Amino acid sequence: MNLLNSILYDTIYHSTPLILAVLGGLFAHKANVLNIGLEGMMLMGAFAATLFVYLTGSLWLGILISILLTLVLGLIFSFFGVTLKSNFIITGLGINIFVQAFSSFILKFMALSNINVSNIISVSALKIELPVIRDIPYLSSLLSGHTAITYLSLILIPVVSIIMFRTKFGVYVRVVGENEEAAKSVGISTVKMRYIAVLIGAVLCALAGANLATERMALFTNGMISGRGFIAIAAIYCGRAMPVKSTVYALIFGLARSLAINLGLFAGPVSGLFEIVPYLMIVTVLFAVSAFETSHSRIRGFKNG
Amino acid sequence: MAVIQAVDLTKKYGNFVANNHINLSIEQGEITAIVGENGAGKTTLMNMFYGLQRPTGGELYIREKQVNFNSPLDAINQGLGMVHQHFKLVPSLTVFENIMLGVEINKKIKLAKNVRVNSPIINARSERDEVQKIIDAYKFELKADDIVENISIGAKQRVEILKMLYRNVDILILDEPTAVLTPQEVDELLLNMRELKKKGKTIILITHKLREVMDISDKVIVIRRGKVVGTKNTAETNPTELAAMMVGRDVILDVNREFKDLKSNRVAYKVTDISTETAPGKKCLDRISFEIREGEILGVAGVEGNGQSQLVSVLSGLMVATEGSVTLYDKDITNRWPERLRREGIGIIPEDRYAQGLCKDMTLGDNLISGYHQKKEFCRCGLLDKHNIAKNRDELIEQYDIRISDREGKVSQLSGGNAQKIIIAREFDSDPKVLIASQPTRGVDIGSIEFIHKKILELRNQNKAILLVSSELSEIMNLSDRIIVMYKGKIVGEVEGREADSSQLGLLMAGITPDGRKKAGEKN
Amino acid sequence: MNQRRWLSNFLSVLSPVVLTLLLGGIIITAIGEDPVLTYSVMIQRSLFSYSGILKTLHFAAPLILTGLAIAITFKANIFNMGVEGQAVLGAFFAGVAGFSFTRLPPALHIALCLLAGMAVGVLFALIPAILKARFKVDEMVVTLMLNYVVVEITKYLSQGVYKDPASGYVSTYAIRESAMFKKIFNSDITGFFFISLVVFAIMIVVFKKSKLGYEITAIGLNPEFAEATGMDVRKKILAIMILSGAMSGLAGAGFLMSEKYRYTLDFSGSPGIGWDGMLIALLGGHNPVGIVVAAVFYSALKTGSDYIGLFTNVPKEIVGVIQGILILFLSVRFIDSRFKVLGRVKALVRSHGVSGSGE
Repeated sequence: MNLLNSILYDTIYHSTPLILAVLGGLFAHKANVLNIGLEGMMLMGAFAATLFVYLTGSLWLGILISILLTLVLGLIFSFFGVTLKSNFIITGLGINIFVQAFSSFILKFMALSNINVSNIISVSALKIELPVIRDIPYLSSLLSGHTAITYLSLILIPVVSIIMFRTKFGVYVRVVGENEEAAKSVGISTVKMRYIAVLIGAVLCALAGANLATERMALFTNGMISGRGFIAIAAIYCGRAMPVKSTVYALIFGLARSLAINLGLFAGPVSGLFEIVPYLMIVTVLFAVSAFETSHSRIRGFKNG
Repeated sequence: MAVIQAVDLTKKYGNFVANNHINLSIEQGEITAIVGENGAGKTTLMNMFYGLQRPTGGELYIREKQVNFNSPLDAINQGLGMVHQHFKLVPSLTVFENIMLGVEINKKIKLAKNVRVNSPIINARSERDEVQKIIDAYKFELKADDIVENISIGAKQRVEILKMLYRNVDILILDEPTAVLTPQEVDELLLNMRELKKKGKTIILITHKLREVMDISDKVIVIRRGKVVGTKNTAETNPTELAAMMVGRDVILDVNREFKDLKSNRVAYKVTDISTETAPGKKCLDRISFEIREGEILGVAGVEGNGQSQLVSVLSGLMVATEGSVTLYDKDITNRWPERLRREGIGIIPEDRYAQGLCKDMTLGDNLISGYHQKKEFCRCGLLDKHNIAKNRDELIEQYDIRISDREGKVSQLSGGNAQKIIIAREFDSDPKVLIASQPTRGVDIGSIEFIHKKILELRNQNKAILLVSSELSEIMNLSDRIIVMYKGKIVGEVEGREADSSQLGLLMAGITPDGRKKAGEKN
Repeated sequence: MNQRRWLSNFLSVLSPVVLTLLLGGIIITAIGEDPVLTYSVMIQRSLFSYSGILKTLHFAAPLILTGLAIAITFKANIFNMGVEGQAVLGAFFAGVAGFSFTRLPPALHIALCLLAGMAVGVLFALIPAILKARFKVDEMVVTLMLNYVVVEITKYLSQGVYKDPASGYVSTYAIRESAMFKKIFNSDITGFFFISLVVFAIMIVVFKKSKLGYEITAIGLNPEFAEATGMDVRKKILAIMILSGAMSGLAGAGFLMSEKYRYTLDFSGSPGIGWDGMLIALLGGHNPVGIVVAAVFYSALKTGSDYIGLFTNVPKEIVGVIQGILILFLSVRFIDSRFKVLGRVKALVRSHGVSGSGE
């Protein structure tokens, strides 16, 4: 059935940017940095990639510059949040609003309503068909015919797992997030770890944005990220910042979107309500966790911090 | 050899002298216990040994070499390690990962014959083996693979100790190690300590548990108010003598105190079988029962951490009791929230004045009405009457002798004593039926202490019931008509105020009941 | 004493503003335009002309309300990040009430729509409020996420049940004339502006003189103290969020009824009247007078930006850029008091060498 094939393909298709943002945001979360700026970083990635492909004519150069610019954005976030100890939520908000406005600003200045680079990139040429899998029904829709960055994101899942749990770096990031005292007592620099965690997120968000804009549509329009950064945060929360679990949630949310689009033809606007799934899920998870904790505590009242 | 020697070691915080010219020496290969009441200065001293604090005066010698530690890492380099009361462990990591934190072993990649390079991946197997080796060497009960958040507190402590041992420390400081252990875990720890001593390690044990001191230490150093008041060989002393040294003999008895016979007074406040827990299954209060009559001051004595804070929290409405009841003149007020308790006429002086009693960044006037701000004289139709609030403030400043340069200023400008007086003024002025006073003169200057004591006695003479919780034994003995002693969440003894004796109370506070061996609180 | 603090507060707001305008100026110069000209056009057109100042005040009205909605919660250390969603939802249902009823006298119809908006805002704000009061769920993330739920719900409803078939793009029906605020003084301003001023006046009283204001301050500074001395914190959290939701809903409703008249997908603008309110609350130091000043200032920037296209090539999105940068700089001022208190306690513990009990 074409519908099923379409849903399968679209699930991976729509999950990829989420998976990348989730894998990137995991490190910051483990280090106890609430990176609300994922949305802005993805937008910067998308915008910069498309813009520089447009200006330079080369896909890879565009992606490279977009990674660099998103890293700068990550540095700004870390500087305000970690070094100056600002309120993460408000700083992240500022970053998101800034990137949104800035990208619109540049578009307007260039007198463009969007950046169309389909003359430089052929979207279909970027799709890679896997040799054996392409002939297996259904599996081929799921796994074959995706872009390079998509496959990269799937490979990164085990890679991030290994880094997180089997390397010194991963251990230190977790220590910084779980018990700052313990980290300091053995000489780990919490500031350094937090900076690196945010910057990893920046790189992966840049790739996510690039995937969204250049690889998939060869196009950049305003507001094309439309909340995916926050969905990534929702996935991280629900998956308790564990690589595999969070990715599963990202896939679930990608499935939700895929369903929303594919069933839209049948069900009409109702299918748009599928998009609520990620947000309701995170509220439910938070509720469940807090309810559990409060039911076990005998202490009343709220405390600061 | 004296492996540690402190010469005139002093630590001051502004005007407050925490350690006052401490002179002591710790012998190699011995277990030395350092005992003293809360606030005596034990932990400050150890923090200086371990590099967490810099001394303001005096010298420290490790193995006859003078040292200046800037951080714990320096101390560890000199072979000195410390296990704190609050563990610095990472819950989601395993035992071996915690022990190897900061000194991980990496897997090596063989590039060519004889050329090996460090990869970023941790060699979990080597780490586990290394850790297992020292677990076996010291005969500790631990599994290297266990995840730390799932193991018992006793096991967590062993992990902390091993963390030090792995880094080759041979002087180990243990800060109140048995405070959080069950009796069986305590026995295991004592066994482990004996094993360490056999291997030639030197151990310093900070504690106020005299039974353990007698059990395991070779020497005892008693600290009181920042000074060393005595050093004894354990074999040549006994708990009574130690308790007396810890508590001191300068208990000032108020000669004007008259002990009335209160048996005929009405019971105002009754607490029956109150229990609660800090975590599911971890009881911190175990069937506490007592009653207070009108015009009576009931003192609750005990070393901090034996459930007194939780008792006050429950009675103030900030913690939920899992069983039991509280009645005020036969009216049931069990588990009511603070707002209701205030309306019923319970006045509260909290243990932590800046956390629960005052809002530092608010003005005096605002602090003086909080909790009572909905009263008619301060509030009409939801709007505050600033004029009356100011008038109230001025009256109370007079009445309670609160010293402040700017009446409109914030509470943060007041000294500890005057800040406490604000709480006293507020609670007393509301004419409570029952007053719960927890550590009412902690951190307060002598003049204010006398004033506060006077006010408490006045309240009692107005036939109010007062619950006085304090870890200052002299305060309890000065003011109470009756004294109960808490130990490990239970009441282990009751004494009439006029018959109270400090060494007897000191023993009860340390869990040693009159028949010699510790029975109280033994079964958990 | 108070004056000195007021001055230092003012300066600590002024420096981020100056820095931001400088950075904005650099960006403008980078694209080859004149920043001085750009800024002066913005200010002149919005503040120094009769129609300009009234237009500025008109657009400031909903922002004053969303600013107050945020400030009242932030003062109590509650982070209601859902003001945007509450405002939009309130606007939507005010619109529904606006086009669903015919033959109602204007005064009644307007009141009905405003109440509908406020009620919806309140109900929506109650969700995170109850979760926090009863289950101690962190309201920051919940409110943030619920904003997106609102986006989808309104999108669904305006494409389906309430869709106006006559319009070429996604939009609901326009509200009836009887529900619209009439323009007065020959300008953009409407009666809604005065409603927002009334709310502002009420809020001044609440913040400074009311029992609730006193309790809000206490809860924000030391919630443990507030509970221990007998302020029922759970009830107050509900009260605060209800007020916040009501003001947000009112903001959205009034904006619809005085300017937009129908709900479209870009109703709230970019980034949205709720987020504008966040900036205004931060700028205004979470107190009513500061908020009004900040609202007028920010609204001036926004309305002024409409005119810069006439004199320069600078895109009006420069205002959004300035907004983002300003929020960034202001975020440092408002070091999360949660973290601050925790840090202070940790420092205290460390400096006194107390690791719990026993010394």
